[in-house]
Amino acid sequence: MSLDIRPVFSSLLRNRTGAVLVAFQIAIALAVLVNAVFIVHQRIEKMNRPTHLDDQNLFGMQIGEFTDRFNYDASVREDLAYLRGLPGVVSASVTNSVPMGVSGSAQTVWTQPDSKGNRAHINYFSMDEQGLNTLGVRLISGRGFRANEILPPLNETNAGDFVPQLIVTQAVAQTLFPNQNALGKAVYDSVGHASTIIGIIDNMIGTAYWGYEAVDHVAIMPQLPRLYGFDYLVRTEPGRRDAIMRTVEEHLATSNPDRVIKWTRSLEYYKKLLYRDDRNMGVFLITVTALLLAVASLGIFGLATFNVSARTKQIGTRRAIGARRADIVRYFMVENGLITTAGIVVGCALALGVGYWLSLQYQLPRLDLYYLVGGVLALWLIGQLAAWQPARKASAVSPSVATRTV
Amino acid sequence: MYAYYARLALKSFRRNRGLTALMLGAIALGIAVCIMTMTVYHAMSGNPIWWKNDRLYAVTMDNWDPLRPHDLQHPDLPPQQLTYKDALYLLGSNIPERKVVMYARQSVLSGGTAERKPLPVSTRVTTSDFFAMFDVPFLYGGGWDASGDQNAVPVIVLSKEQNEKLFGGANSVGRTIRWDDLEFRVVGVLDAWSPVPRFYDLNNGAFSASDDVYIPFGWTRPLAKYPNGGSSNCWKPETVNTFQEFLGSDCVWTQMWVELPTRASRERMQGLIDGYWAEQRKAGRFPRPRDNRLTNIGQWLKDQSVVQNDNRMLVGIAFAFLAVCLLNTVGILLAKFLNAAAIAGVRRALGASRRQIFIQHLIEVGVLASVGAVLGLALGALGLLGVHALYVTNDPGNVIANARGGYQQLTHFDAISVLWAVLLALGSALAAGLYPAWRIGRVAPAVYLKSQ
Repeated sequence: MSLDIRPVFSSLLRNRTGAVLVAFQIAIALAVLVNAVFIVHQRIEKMNRPTHLDDQNLFGMQIGEFTDRFNYDASVREDLAYLRGLPGVVSASVTNSVPMGVSGSAQTVWTQPDSKGNRAHINYFSMDEQGLNTLGVRLISGRGFRANEILPPLNETNAGDFVPQLIVTQAVAQTLFPNQNALGKAVYDSVGHASTIIGIIDNMIGTAYWGYEAVDHVAIMPQLPRLYGFDYLVRTEPGRRDAIMRTVEEHLATSNPDRVIKWTRSLEYYKKLLYRDDRNMGVFLITVTALLLAVASLGIFGLATFNVSARTKQIGTRRAIGARRADIVRYFMVENGLITTAGIVVGCALALGVGYWLSLQYQLPRLDLYYLVGGVLALWLIGQLAAWQPARKASAVSPSVATRTV
Repeated sequence: MYAYYARLALKSFRRNRGLTALMLGAIALGIAVCIMTMTVYHAMSGNPIWWKNDRLYAVTMDNWDPLRPHDLQHPDLPPQQLTYKDALYLLGSNIPERKVVMYARQSVLSGGTAERKPLPVSTRVTTSDFFAMFDVPFLYGGGWDASGDQNAVPVIVLSKEQNEKLFGGANSVGRTIRWDDLEFRVVGVLDAWSPVPRFYDLNNGAFSASDDVYIPFGWTRPLAKYPNGGSSNCWKPETVNTFQEFLGSDCVWTQMWVELPTRASRERMQGLIDGYWAEQRKAGRFPRPRDNRLTNIGQWLKDQSVVQNDNRMLVGIAFAFLAVCLLNTVGILLAKFLNAAAIAGVRRALGASRRQIFIQHLIEVGVLASVGAVLGLALGALGLLGVHALYVTNDPGNVIANARGGYQQLTHFDAISVLWAVLLALGSALAAGLYPAWRIGRVAPAVYLKSQ
């Protein structure tokens, strides 16, 4: 059975404009669809990146000390004892910032003194001996900090000191000591203070302030934080976070008049904030792409319906001289197929061009060709589906129409 | 005649209800999506103090590491902030008409009329010119004088919002409140002021709300506290143990702006900075090639990438979408007009000119475009509410300025966006209708008279 492309084609040539318009719609739709899906897929992968933290059961609160009467040591000791004694709290630690948050501290370390050797920019968290357990991050090798190793906070006379021991993520270990075991190795700060790596942890997500690419370049330091402010980080049993947050906030707000609770927030909140733009971009791209496909297919449908009603007489004539219903359906499907294919050919070039331009302009990865294949199939299918109902309607035209009027 | 054409248009719409709805829907959707992305883009890329664009300059000096630039992603840019000592030196110059050196701190307010809990706030520690230089409006009182630039004068300016929280919105000038447990006298209350983007301090979020309170820069030294509200960056291998050492270090953490009304003053200021740079370089500082800049606000917003790539892409996609919607409309209009060509043929035979047929159909398109534009505007406004909802994160501890987004303002429909939208709508729909109307105007009457 032949598809009888010739007559369809020549009649299309006779009535070019409408077909060309539909083809262009399909071309743009393909270019947008392919690139949008590609971008959305990357964003989803980014958002699904494991945090390597117990992020569902963590919350943080920032403390603001604001009077000279504030007794840091007593207050922190008391607060931590309270937090750790609460039923449902797994563990709690003091920290200089909350992971995945909007602020934090970082410094550069080298593998040799005098700023020599390999270097890594590390986002650090100053925590106590319960730090690792509170974060919920897995220790890959080495050990955590002991209570007697936690240093008192830096103050206005020793702000330049460094910690003698460090725990770093795998990403930091590999940056500093590629293809070696970093455990037990020394690293140096810019003025040559040494510190030994005593533990290596999973690539937990720190603060994205220094760029998302290096978000897992994290170190844990055995020190109480204070100089730039301090927070508490609390890990709860699953499902009890929100209730405990409320209890804790109420208690700490009044237990000491020389400090305030600046905020109490779950890590889930920060995770949402961290990926907010990616999620919104995804939502927007999916919405616009879906609308675009809907408009394009409605357009195909509308035009095909219109063509069918405009050609009722001709269809009737064809039926009268022997064309079967299937022939009429096939005619319209082939017509749609030809237009769609033309649009797809142009669309492929457009999609690749846009993809290439985006990769140059915004440093995105190059468009993966699988997406193009998927897009082509999808649009072809959409085109055929949109034409199916009008084609069926055309085949229902009675042969007697031909005889009714001239 | 035009009323008659409009009646004809309505008749024609009624003849093909489905197609008319489809065209209206396509135009409205296309316009709505464009309005949404354009509104956000317009707000993001706006210059909130454009009238001073050729007067206000950010001062930067590249004091960074000889081995690597301050920002590896943008190696051509110097640090956005200055060291304390450089800023202090430049503050001594008389060349600028006004000059501001400042940074942000987080602090706690207590006192006020109502017996209330101490309140965490964001504070701008700034020199006295801040308010006049950035055209900050006052509700009550005013700023402080230049003595506050050097001395710890205990005066404070409150934002409108904080004044409402602390004093119920009353004129609080002359009242005292405690700022980090020190006594301050209120000298001024600002009116609503929240520039988008927050050009004067992009480090702490380009779309964050403005600061809550303002105190004189002279407090920096006596407070002797490390800055905890903005960003401070250091590169130099130098021991910084005490606050004094920090103030003398090569760490950058203060922001500086100057007002230079004339080209001559700009050149003199550049000369001063370059001269200072050369002197300091002789003393062993500034190891990188000379890069001292006076950057106007427009360029500053560009350099600091306030508009994100995502927003640019979205505008592009929105216009691609509009293009599809319009192609769709052109196709349908064309088919529709040509199908009714017989009627146009008869009109022509009865004496209507090509021009008249063209105008008649253009009016039909115009009616369609107007209705589509109105629908599109409404849809766009609804869509912006949705965008707003996407960006507002439900913050349980919504107290600090950082987390309060300026997205309210980003999704705000202003007069310019409405005008834009209407022009866009009418322009694009008419463009879509032009060709079909022209085609139908070219119909030869004879063909349609032969049959029937």
